[in-house]
Amino acid sequence: MTDVPVSRIRNFCIIAHIDHGKSTLADRLLQATGTVAARDMKEQFLDNMELERERGITIKLQAARMNYKAKDGQDYVLNLIDTPGHVDFSYEVSRSLAACEGALLVVDASQGVEAQTLANVYLALESNLEIIPVLNKIDLPGAEPERVKKEIEEVIGLDCSGAILASAKEGLGITEILESIVHLVPPPQATVEERLRALIFDSYYDSYRGVIVYFRVMDGRVKTGDRVRLMASGKEYEIDELGVLSPNQIRVDDLHAGEVGYLAAAIKAVEDARVGDTITLATAAAKEPLPGYTQAKPMVFCGMFPTDADQFPDLREALEKLKLNDAALSYEPETSSAMGFGFRCGFLGLLHMEIVQERLEREYNLDLIITAPSVVYKVTTNKGEELLIDNPSTLPDPQFREQIEEPYVQVDMITPEEYVGTLMELGQSRRGVFKDMKYLTLGRTTLSYELPLAEVVTDFFDQMKSRSRGYASMEYHLIGYRVNTLVRLDILINGDPVDSLAMIVHRDKAYYVGRALVEKLKELIPRHQFKIPLQAAIGSKVIASEHIPALRKDVLAKCYGGDISRKKKLLQKQAKGKKRMKAIGTVDVPQEAFMAVLRLDKE
Amino acid sequence: MTTILTIESNHYNKDLDIPTSAYVHIPFCRRRCFYCDFPISVVGDRTRGENSGTIVEYIDILCQEIAATPAPGKPLKTVFFGGGTPSLLSAQQIARILENLANKYGITSDAEISLEIDPATFDLPQLQGYKNAGITRFSLGVQAFQDELLQVCGRSHTTADILAAIDLIRQVDIPEFSIDLISGLPKQTIEQWEESLRKAVELNPTHISVYDLIIEDGTAFGRYYQPGSQPLPTDETTAQMYRLTQQILTLSGYEHYEISNYAQPGHQCRHNRVYWENRPYYAFGMGAASYLNRQRFTRPKKRKEYYAWVQHLIASDGILDAPQIDEHDILLETLMLGLRLAEGLKIAVLAEKFGRKTLEKIWHCLQPYYQTGWVEISANNSANIALSPTDKLPVTGRLKLTDPEGFLFSNTVLAALFSQLEKAEAGES
Repeated sequence: MTDVPVSRIRNFCIIAHIDHGKSTLADRLLQATGTVAARDMKEQFLDNMELERERGITIKLQAARMNYKAKDGQDYVLNLIDTPGHVDFSYEVSRSLAACEGALLVVDASQGVEAQTLANVYLALESNLEIIPVLNKIDLPGAEPERVKKEIEEVIGLDCSGAILASAKEGLGITEILESIVHLVPPPQATVEERLRALIFDSYYDSYRGVIVYFRVMDGRVKTGDRVRLMASGKEYEIDELGVLSPNQIRVDDLHAGEVGYLAAAIKAVEDARVGDTITLATAAAKEPLPGYTQAKPMVFCGMFPTDADQFPDLREALEKLKLNDAALSYEPETSSAMGFGFRCGFLGLLHMEIVQERLEREYNLDLIITAPSVVYKVTTNKGEELLIDNPSTLPDPQFREQIEEPYVQVDMITPEEYVGTLMELGQSRRGVFKDMKYLTLGRTTLSYELPLAEVVTDFFDQMKSRSRGYASMEYHLIGYRVNTLVRLDILINGDPVDSLAMIVHRDKAYYVGRALVEKLKELIPRHQFKIPLQAAIGSKVIASEHIPALRKDVLAKCYGGDISRKKKLLQKQAKGKKRMKAIGTVDVPQEAFMAVLRLDKE
Repeated sequence: MTTILTIESNHYNKDLDIPTSAYVHIPFCRRRCFYCDFPISVVGDRTRGENSGTIVEYIDILCQEIAATPAPGKPLKTVFFGGGTPSLLSAQQIARILENLANKYGITSDAEISLEIDPATFDLPQLQGYKNAGITRFSLGVQAFQDELLQVCGRSHTTADILAAIDLIRQVDIPEFSIDLISGLPKQTIEQWEESLRKAVELNPTHISVYDLIIEDGTAFGRYYQPGSQPLPTDETTAQMYRLTQQILTLSGYEHYEISNYAQPGHQCRHNRVYWENRPYYAFGMGAASYLNRQRFTRPKKRKEYYAWVQHLIASDGILDAPQIDEHDILLETLMLGLRLAEGLKIAVLAEKFGRKTLEKIWHCLQPYYQTGWVEISANNSANIALSPTDKLPVTGRLKLTDPEGFLFSNTVLAALFSQLEKAEAGES
């Protein structure tokens, strides 16, 4: 790695909606600059977590340094900083944007601007980034570059006269993109002589080297062996290893203002080197940290319990390990009378929760029962204390509380016109307050609602997708807390309240939810040798009840002429179902039952 | 027709991996019963084995399969002709198949050779012919003793046909004679079921098989009915039918030796015991399932595909292309099959085959069911042993399901064992 003048560095990111081709474009850029040889190319090089490949989304950030000889004959260093593409991770997005001077805005030429893209473009504009519009997938028969250009101009107000027409898949427009980056994205400020300030935009835990920190040097210089201080956590470390990402890690001795790289310094957990924190030298510390650091706060909570109580220590160990790599994950032990020992875990959003759950089950081989997600309620007691309640079963009884406030978010949806009606219905049915509706271009509309977060974290996203046949997109952000008439709905199985099924609902919806829930539970809980009553209650008042009839037999009469395979398959299926059940008293309750509240509106 | 090779029976098998049983599938039926999802071919009411080109062709191919299947050198002790309706074949056709088996493997002189027969498909000379061909056991598909129920399930015979058939069976004086009955039929009442049981007992067969109706997908019943709802009897009623069966038949001198099977002392079906004891067996014919060299293999269930498969088998010198099952599968299958038997499983044998540790896991998993009285432990002299939850399993004796409650919930118990005995933990010994 040669030392590169600041004037020939370009730092940029790619803003795109899921499926609009960000990863493919990144792959093409890596190939075109010879950073990754074609034969080493795995599809979607930057998304290197198995889960990310499966879901086609970027969860953890990645970065890549490319050397590019531009048409002006000069050698440039282009640093691509990838951004996660989901609303749960908007803080991480804002930090990676802060590490750049420019952004490629990639929009599918056959689709148009989506809600999440819009939100990220606004973030980029706030960070003063130079934005280069790229219309991707122009090779598709349905591509309408002119319409989409107009939409970008009208919705975002961005001049699209110089928009690049590209097809990452076909390799079209790649050179134009590289040239635009060189000529339009400003170089970083030449602040090499100032005191070191480097912005952490990502970090992950490596079991051999400790936390690997990805950073952008904003001011000054850093070299291997330097003793550095993280200004937010106040911790100090000696840099063992310094390098750049190409996109594989390549060691270098020093990095200066404008450059992007990684370091390893025997840091024990990513929470010690959080995204947004500023790295400075311990011996010559900067006066001020870089602006914009906040600690991402969990918005959604759920209980996680091992189906087999013996797995509790394994679960704790797995959470400890995940936490090393995920500063936003929070957990603390929870004891449930129904479920035994487990953890109350906090997440940035539903996707974050699903990812953690899947990783626990896949990578750590745990069988878990997850309770339905809850948000954080503010409860004022009649003694004037304010309590934060993230677990419905801990809500004080009505006689002890003055009021309950719940978090509200503004949800912005972008949808083809024909789905406006059904999406408004959805908004209304989720206690939404209609705010605004705007026509974009040709039949596309934005729709804004203020909604209780609790209504959004259930199945709002799925509902929005299914009602709009997948065409609508959404984005939400917290707007504050509001007082509402909320009650705790208890579920009793076989006469006993099940704390992990309790939920906080609006009084007006309690009856409907209670009824739908006991009916769903009746479907989900298998028959037992005895009759099982199911009840939904508010306080001591039962508002809905059902029962599961007793199982009278469970036997297969015949093996078919020695063909035992069918019987075996049947038993294996039954056994698999049993593994995912939790014994509550004498009743085995399947995992799905705890998530039943998410499925009330589905057939 | 005494064409069977006579070979001295060898009662003690040192090598249990060499099969001494064969299942032969005869897939032809006059029509398909409404509950049936077996691999069969419907040939209509007038077709008989000797005048049907289809049946003649099938037997040819079946005999090719027998010829192509390697013979490791032990004579057969049991043969079972199942169907379908094997009694649509003539005695000569059955004899031909047996000859082929005898020539290839040998058949012991005291072999049990069963043939499934259906009322109104045979006459006296035909039964006599079967007996002469070597058949020692008839299994008669009665199903019910009420015309309306026979009609409801699409059987092609009446109660009068049943009585006539039994009369013929008596006349040929066969050593073993079994009756099949089905409980839980649409509209069947508990009184009708009791009547069927009593009539069966009056006829004094040596063996009675009693099947609780299973509604299978893709059958006529599967299309019309939902298990447990009208007009099918409730689960509560069919469970009661199961208990009633156990009471009536055991009081009438039948041993309840397997979940669905009863026999007079000394008349258990030796062939079916091979399945339950998880021992190997040959199988021949369309859709037939064999267990050889630790390979479980089910033949194609359509005639043309089966024929093509036989040609492939011949071309590959009789080598079956199927995965070998591992220790863990053997354990699960041993439990799943062995616990169907009233005598259960020998603790010492389980420990020897699968290890004491696995056995402890099994016992741990069975504890709750021991408490509810579905599982019991008996000494070798068949006296029950009372254990407390902290006790270890004795080293000898037998582990078994209780009759009738344990049997009625056998799937619950087995599913618990399956989920407890995870793959990663199996195979230690």
